[in-house]
Amino acid sequence: MSTAFSEEQRDCLQELINVAMGLASDKLARFLNTFVHLQVPAIELVNSVQIPAQFEARYSHTEAALISQGFLGNDGLRGEAIVLYQLDNAHRIAALLGYDTDSASELEMLTDISSILTTTFLNGLADQIDNSLSYSAPRVLSSRQNNVPEALQETAVHWELALKVDISYQLVDHSFNCDMLLLIPGEAVLNIQQILDRILEEY
Amino acid sequence: MALPVLICDDSLLARKQVRKSLPESFDAEFLTAGNGVEALAILRSQEIGLVFLDLTMPELDGIGVLEAIKQDGLDCFVIVISADIQPEMQKRVTELGALAFIHKPVNPEKLVVILKQYGLI
Amino acid sequence: MSEDWLTGPVLEQLNSGVLVVDEQFQLVYLNSFLQRHSCVQLSEVKGKSLFQVFNDLPEAWLRRKFASVLELQSPSFSSWEQRQYIIKLPHLRPATSSSQYMAQNCTMLPLKDPGGRLYVCLLIEDATDAFVYQQHLQSTLQKLELSNRIDGLTQALNRRYWEEQLKLEVQRAQRYKQPLSLLLFDLDKFKQLNDQYGHLGGDSVLIELTARVRALLRDTDWFGRYGGEEFGIVLTNTGLAGAIEVAERIRLAVSNTAVTFHEQSIPTSVSIGAAQLYIEGDRAHEVLIGQADIALYNAKREGRNRVVAFSEGETEFLLRTQQA
Repeated sequence: MSTAFSEEQRDCLQELINVAMGLASDKLARFLNTFVHLQVPAIELVNSVQIPAQFEARYSHTEAALISQGFLGNDGLRGEAIVLYQLDNAHRIAALLGYDTDSASELEMLTDISSILTTTFLNGLADQIDNSLSYSAPRVLSSRQNNVPEALQETAVHWELALKVDISYQLVDHSFNCDMLLLIPGEAVLNIQQILDRILEEY
Repeated sequence: MALPVLICDDSLLARKQVRKSLPESFDAEFLTAGNGVEALAILRSQEIGLVFLDLTMPELDGIGVLEAIKQDGLDCFVIVISADIQPEMQKRVTELGALAFIHKPVNPEKLVVILKQYGLI
Repeated sequence: MSEDWLTGPVLEQLNSGVLVVDEQFQLVYLNSFLQRHSCVQLSEVKGKSLFQVFNDLPEAWLRRKFASVLELQSPSFSSWEQRQYIIKLPHLRPATSSSQYMAQNCTMLPLKDPGGRLYVCLLIEDATDAFVYQQHLQSTLQKLELSNRIDGLTQALNRRYWEEQLKLEVQRAQRYKQPLSLLLFDLDKFKQLNDQYGHLGGDSVLIELTARVRALLRDTDWFGRYGGEEFGIVLTNTGLAGAIEVAERIRLAVSNTAVTFHEQSIPTSVSIGAAQLYIEGDRAHEVLIGQADIALYNAKREGRNRVVAFSEGETEFLLRTQQA
């Protein structure tokens, strides 16, 4: 099974993701009724074995929260989206968005924001490829995780390929960073390649 | 006479999408650029009537291209086509002299309306 | 669709709640599961406001959730772990759950009718089983944690945990410049007692002894079993005079009343060493134990059943005897 993407497929995927992120950003801004600016994300296709190491630098000195949500569409499109936050960022976001600062509300804020980011973004992606997705409930993998690489290792082992989406966003006057990881199993990678080829043929 | 049109986007798919969104009746000669630097090189070396310009690109982004066009007094229409669709960005490119701002994914009907509005078709 | 006839019956027999409201939060649909559990008839509530029909809903929270579903046209979720239930419903396991309401996992989905009108569908899944398991797990973990701290025989703290607390209290006392004292005490002639009444007799004396001591302590004191018949008490916010007073009360509580074991009366007594914390530094707790131990040694040497406080000169005495 080849999970290597051709140059054209890669370009196509990047463009679809850029557009999806733009749509998500606009929706989020309107919904939160506050100025949100999502930068067009840097994406990277990585072998899932490499994932833990990729996040070591950013998360090794801080507590982080990991929130996971499964997605499932037509044509064998499926995977797991993981959003990673630095926890001190999460406290500030909760306060800015008017959530109470007790830990239950904070967890709810984290799952809410992750779910909104994930579902609006992936819906935007699905729309462009005439697909539609259903989602599992977001699950907090860990909200006081000191060892992100280890936690990712446990999760990533089930997947073939990972699409690393580095999302930076600005909320009111503050800049935040979170990472979204789309973990995709091997056979779904092939299905995605077929979908991309179909789009490339159209143009 | 065919209108010289430059499509500037770092994505091949996006360049193809723009071209495919244009009506067949649109008589144009197409040139493409993969980033802002390439685009400026073309703009400075030959007459271009219309530019479809992406904002997020390597080397030099769309904002940089708009600034250079303004500074050099280059004579061309610019239509920005971007995934970054927040109102602040639209305001910024309009101030820099772009004719119109189109959201990605490109809606062919909307594109035709804009082209008609400026007498390009 | 030719399978249209299916959806009605399946919805009605589904073991989950299905509720649909329009953009004004007016009820459009409730399936049988919800009608039965909440004792509400769809025909009576259709078109009414959701918040009037179910008047104890978390309204502000639910409005925000529904608004996100409508605005973003994407699903929203709620887990029983964060919010145990949205609609108060009885569950069907009254005997096994400590909660009287059904724990719920909820999904809120965007819907659109053929005319383009928007709705929100609320799916409610019964998560009471998971809730019950979680509660059992938590109480088991609590018991486990407790058993890691407690000496099985006497129910006093075990040595490891007691020493940890001593160390923490010493650091706290140093940081806040508060007095702290330590008592170490021994049951007198324990070996003899074991020989005479057997180990069960010895055990029952230890159990009775700890019960009497515990009754004299404050919640903020740490009482642990240090060795076989040796115990320690960390007295927070207490100077030496106060510690001697407590020690004297303990001594009397033990020696005034004999322990009864198998209809035999076993007279007992304790020797107690007391010391107050004066030392700074990382090893202060070890020094403190050493000082209380010297005092305890002196109490035994001077004839048992007494309280002796550590005083500075004894360090020199100890050093001298060690050198000799």
